[in-house]
Amino acid sequence: MVKTVNIAIASVGGQGGLTLSRVLAVAAVLDGLSVRTGETLGMAQRYGSVVSYVRIGARVFSPTFSESEGDYLLGLELLETTRALRLLKPSGLVIVSDTIRPPISASLNREVYDKNKLVDYIRSYAKTLVVPAQKLATEVGNPRAANMVLLGVFHRHQDLITDTSMRKAISEVIPPKWLESSLRAFELGLSFIEER
Amino acid sequence: MVNVLKAPAGVKLALMGNEAIARGLVEAGASVVAGYPGTPSSEVIMTLHEFGAGSEVYVEWAVNERVAFEVAYGASIGGARAAVTMKAPGASVALDPIVSSAYGGVEGGLMVLVADDPGPHTTQTEQDNRWLGFLAKLPVVSPSSPQEAKDLTVSSFDLSERIKLPVILRTTTRVNHSIGEVRLGPIRPPKKASLFKKDIPRFVRAGMLWNLERHKWLNKQLAAVEEVFDRVSTVPNTVEGSSELCIVTEGSAYNYVAEAVSELGADVKVVKLTLLYPIPKKFLLKALDGCYKVLVVEELDPYLELVVKSLLAELDARVTVYGKSTGHLPLEGELNRKSVHNAVLTTLLASKVAVSTQSHSVAHQDVRIAPRPPPMCPGCPHRNMYIALLMGIARAGYRSDEVPVFGDIGCYALGVQPPLEAIWTEHSMGASISMAMGLKVAGYDKPVVAVIGDSTFYHAGVQSLVEAVHKQVDVLVVIADNSVVAMTGHQSTPAWSELESGRRSRPVSIESIIRAIGVDYVEVVDPYDIDSSIATFETLLKKPGVKVVISRHPCALMEARLRGVYRRYRVVSDRCVGCLACIRVTGCPAMFFDGSKVKIVEEDCLGCGLCARFCPYKAIEVVKLG
Repeated sequence: MVKTVNIAIASVGGQGGLTLSRVLAVAAVLDGLSVRTGETLGMAQRYGSVVSYVRIGARVFSPTFSESEGDYLLGLELLETTRALRLLKPSGLVIVSDTIRPPISASLNREVYDKNKLVDYIRSYAKTLVVPAQKLATEVGNPRAANMVLLGVFHRHQDLITDTSMRKAISEVIPPKWLESSLRAFELGLSFIEER
Repeated sequence: MVNVLKAPAGVKLALMGNEAIARGLVEAGASVVAGYPGTPSSEVIMTLHEFGAGSEVYVEWAVNERVAFEVAYGASIGGARAAVTMKAPGASVALDPIVSSAYGGVEGGLMVLVADDPGPHTTQTEQDNRWLGFLAKLPVVSPSSPQEAKDLTVSSFDLSERIKLPVILRTTTRVNHSIGEVRLGPIRPPKKASLFKKDIPRFVRAGMLWNLERHKWLNKQLAAVEEVFDRVSTVPNTVEGSSELCIVTEGSAYNYVAEAVSELGADVKVVKLTLLYPIPKKFLLKALDGCYKVLVVEELDPYLELVVKSLLAELDARVTVYGKSTGHLPLEGELNRKSVHNAVLTTLLASKVAVSTQSHSVAHQDVRIAPRPPPMCPGCPHRNMYIALLMGIARAGYRSDEVPVFGDIGCYALGVQPPLEAIWTEHSMGASISMAMGLKVAGYDKPVVAVIGDSTFYHAGVQSLVEAVHKQVDVLVVIADNSVVAMTGHQSTPAWSELESGRRSRPVSIESIIRAIGVDYVEVVDPYDIDSSIATFETLLKKPGVKVVISRHPCALMEARLRGVYRRYRVVSDRCVGCLACIRVTGCPAMFFDGSKVKIVEEDCLGCGLCARFCPYKAIEVVKLG
């Protein structure tokens, strides 16, 4: 029996976190698995903190999970990833883009974040892969595809969803115009090895 | 992408609850679907629009929920299958015709989707619309998953037609906005209007004796609902397990129960209700027979808890009932896996030890992350409007803390966030104008301002404006017209000439409405022209009467999607002194402070140039794009 895997996706609204959860859900169903996602939608979330939950297993009911239950945390932004760390098990894996977007409330108070300190903090919490997702996505000519880079890295570190289904899900969810560059971004993530 | 509306029966797809409901409407053969956008209900009609090209079904946004309901009701009394969609407060807007519809009843099936929002995530209150059953005397059914949402949509129509009453499909965010695997069913052809049979006592609520008779008819119908539901619903009320320890649950709360029971390996009977009104008494009495302790797990109010207690009281049974009233589950906010797990543990299993709800992050609180509430987008014309309004108030000689700005519901309510903190209230659709009027007639001696969006004005602002004009109240009304229902995902407004469905429509202009109502002054300004906006606000604030400023500029996000971005701004590093004037005035989320200077995130800037205007050092310059 497949054990339920809990994935949290932390992002700033508009970065493509919802697309990521949709691809994972479609891929899981293509593989005959059960899936539930929990998210908040609407324009009102743009540029705000967004967490999406994805749960995949043999039979899943609840669309969300609680603190310390996450197996994976996929983060499209460092601050939002730090905020969502509480969702992760100590044995979980963080896959995070090295992008940082300070919120207005910080800038108004002249608060500044040190990227290295944030990364160290995340690392002190759980095993972490820091990915230059934005840079890699820009390399394939689609800066919006940082989410697909993270998906590639995630794919390499999971054994739940098959390669065929993951790729088919990407091609079902991503509009034709962006498909080729998205698949290339996915490949870059797949072959990414963290240098430290 | 697979067309969810046309995919064949038997296929299993990953669908969001609202997409599943849209598919259900096609499977049920609905021929008229109306609604008003509202999170978390909007994607039902959006899905029908996205994938329904060429279909003969009428699917349109209405001007508000009550009109939407009446459109659907009119269709159904003529024999058509019809549906209406709305978020929780929309049910209150539509309540008058909903209540009366129980007396007239329906011919074609009529489903009313009401999407509640425990949390709340995107709603002004945690209104629990299960009470609509008791109030409106209409059947209420509730799904727990996307699959059930689709199946129950179809069953709602079958129930509605047999019992001749509208059926309320009551959902919550975790069903509407959850993706799950859904097995599709067969599609029925749309059931259109056949014959509207004139029946005065049935459909004319002007006769009091008729109304009394129809009330008797209604009660008779309600008495038959449970039996009909059992026959027609493909999502039945269920009992899992057998034990003296029992859980009663429904809807999204069931999911947490199912997992808690299985993870605890608990020997518990789980009673899951789908029919929430009328109470399926026969089923519940049988299901509760032999229970010694009952835990009720439900979102929002202790609705089922009251129901269960009153049933048990009738039986004179000595059963302990746990739930929200006993403090084992919260009365506010959403349930989750842990809260339900702990409730099962501490009540039915009488364990003194609950699972810790603290995460191990407690040890790691040395990094503080500033909050990131959703702001207005870069380039948002509402930002310009608020800055001009606040400056206009200052130029007219008033302090900003003596001219109340009554807000309304839409993206422009995000102007409440720092640095603008522009609005003083946000209450209900259309309330800005009437509440501003109320303060004024109560003797407030400084000017009052109401800010309302274009779609909200059509929805419920028109009547408020009539009231203000008729009573000759001094009020400045700003209509923030971005030509779209932006906040819920860019739906059409009555100003559009072609709709999402492809239908040609006749634009209803805000100006003509306002002029016809007879306000004292009307001005149209472009908020991107900030100087003339400031001047207009300053001038009108000093004048008596009802003054309307239409502040018109398309939603920046919609513009960028339709026409692309042709210029951006950047900070010239050696001219920026880090004074933060740009961020303090605009609060634009495309900007941030890096410790010494301001940076603009290139891909987020939409090129409005507002920041450049307020930079005292001319350190922000335009970059033209190809």
